[in-house]
Amino acid sequence: MLTKTRIGGALLLVFCLTYWWLIRDIRLLPFQVNQAFTARTIPELLAIIGSGLAVLCLILPGSGEKPDLKGLDWPRVIGFLVLMSAYGLLIRPLGFLLSTTAFLMIGFTMLGERRIWISAAVAVPLVVGFWVLMTQGLDVYIAPLPAALN
Amino acid sequence: MIDGILIGLSTALSLQNLLFVMMGCLVGTFIGMLPGLGPMSAIALMIPIAATLDPAAGIILMAAVYYGAIFGGSTSSILINAPGVASTVATSFDGYPMARSGQAGKALAIAAYSSFSGGVIAAIFLLVAAPSLASVSLAFQSTDYFALMVLGLVAVAAFAGKGSMVKALLMTVVGLMLSTVGTDQTQGVARFTLGMIDLVDGISFLLLVMATFALSEALMAILRPKDDSARLEEKEASQKLGSMKVSREEVKEMVPVISRSSVLGFIVGVLPGAGATIASFLAYGTEQRIAGPKKGAEFGKGSVRGLSAPETANNAAATGSFVPLLTLGIPGSGTTAIMLGALIGYGIQPGPRLYLDQPDVFWSVIVSMWIGNIILLILNLPLIPYIARVLAIPSRFLLPLILFFSLIGVYFVSFNTFDIQLMVLFAIAAVGLRLLDFPMAPMILGFILGGMMEENLRRALLINDGSWSFLWERGLTLSILVIAALCLLAPPLVGWITKYRNRNTTDATPD
Repeated sequence: MLTKTRIGGALLLVFCLTYWWLIRDIRLLPFQVNQAFTARTIPELLAIIGSGLAVLCLILPGSGEKPDLKGLDWPRVIGFLVLMSAYGLLIRPLGFLLSTTAFLMIGFTMLGERRIWISAAVAVPLVVGFWVLMTQGLDVYIAPLPAALN
Repeated sequence: MIDGILIGLSTALSLQNLLFVMMGCLVGTFIGMLPGLGPMSAIALMIPIAATLDPAAGIILMAAVYYGAIFGGSTSSILINAPGVASTVATSFDGYPMARSGQAGKALAIAAYSSFSGGVIAAIFLLVAAPSLASVSLAFQSTDYFALMVLGLVAVAAFAGKGSMVKALLMTVVGLMLSTVGTDQTQGVARFTLGMIDLVDGISFLLLVMATFALSEALMAILRPKDDSARLEEKEASQKLGSMKVSREEVKEMVPVISRSSVLGFIVGVLPGAGATIASFLAYGTEQRIAGPKKGAEFGKGSVRGLSAPETANNAAATGSFVPLLTLGIPGSGTTAIMLGALIGYGIQPGPRLYLDQPDVFWSVIVSMWIGNIILLILNLPLIPYIARVLAIPSRFLLPLILFFSLIGVYFVSFNTFDIQLMVLFAIAAVGLRLLDFPMAPMILGFILGGMMEENLRRALLINDGSWSFLWERGLTLSILVIAALCLLAPPLVGWITKYRNRNTTDATPD
């Protein structure tokens, strides 16, 4: 039966086995190989314990609860993940003020705010105020506009 | 000790630090009140600001945010039956029925007075316990520290709840695994960097905390949108509070409850892994039993005792959890794990030496607890009618703002856009694991303790010529490991015994 514990256990088993597999990429110098404690010691221990626990999650029934995916708004969450990733890519080329204002206004719209002027009225003062606080108050500089305009 | 208190007072009572305490309490209450966002997210969101301050001010700010967030969590529990954190779940048992019967203001006042008393009494215990434990722990060796860290990690998993222990242990190991990413500190070897330069310094603690708490909690709120009736209820609750006066009879009823619950809360808080949630439920259960049949029957229907007990205990436990953090450098809870990460970020190593090497930090944290609790009472309580309006802010504005503050908080520390992409990846994983009921706090604890654990194990093995015999040859190490094993084995053993007894009782019952 596919319970929450078993699905999570299976996913984490894949993670642990990949981790185990990647241990071979940790390069040790010849004199380090025979030492009692090397850069591989803890990862090896963790890979064994982690895989064992993940297998336990697969064997033991846990609460037996099945995942309930009804009523979950996946498209909107995926939209936000894309928006966050795009924000990360555009914060430098567009500058803080433009990219953040766009991020917030698109975010408000995605969550149901249809009036653009209200979105702008919330986003613009907040972004400008935050930028002033960071640059003037806390001495953290961040380019406000695209490089070409700075 | 008197000198220490004076050092703490002079640091904590400076105008700048007083302002930070006030700001922290206010911001913490504000964030803690938002359903879904707890103290961990609140502290994580403050780390980028705290990082720009001196260590004492930064820690004072974060500690104030901590109490503020617990107080805020109680407010949302009472007003809309939506505990921001597990530790305020028990508060809603009697707080929400009181609010439903038109006594929301009184319920909030009782919660505030109980929290204040619990916090202040526990801070006195902390004042006595922390220096004593710190002086004892000076004798600890790396083998003992390794064993203590094992105990801390195991205890968090052991208290995770029925059926969740294996999951919590697995998440702890995942946290430990993530802590090994980056350059190995002793041999200078790159580990699990996948050839990426951005991972050579390892995964930032702030990034992981923000992604797995603040970001994933906001995404979970987007994933499970609330219906309009719930929003309406929140709006109404935030506007109608009623009188905040507490009668003399009610105060008389609260006093013994507060005294018992603060002691209980503090002791539970000191135990690694137990924390405020267990303390609040234990205090609630204890008071229900002590109350007798008449008063006990009022529990769950708006009882003053039922509200006062968990509120006192969770605040006392929050203060108690600072004992292992300040004296042993081992966090007893997810929240103190985040604070430990912040302390390490300042270049401060909490532990027995903190008391001697940086007394200003050690004592100012303790003194700031009193000041924080006083400010919560005199500043936040009267402001509650206004702060509660945060519950009426539409989530369509609030959620993108939380996402923005989480992303920019991490970006402003590293100025590396790779971190934003990595946060998105971790947030996806965290949302998935939350949907599958895998806890996040043990992972953070594992991540924070991973580096220290590896370092202590390496030292222990070096001292013992590569032999693992220190695990059973040194008495103190062995004792701690035995306690860890008991923590691990006790919950399933108790479960099996109860099951066995129940089966026997059923078999013995005649048809």
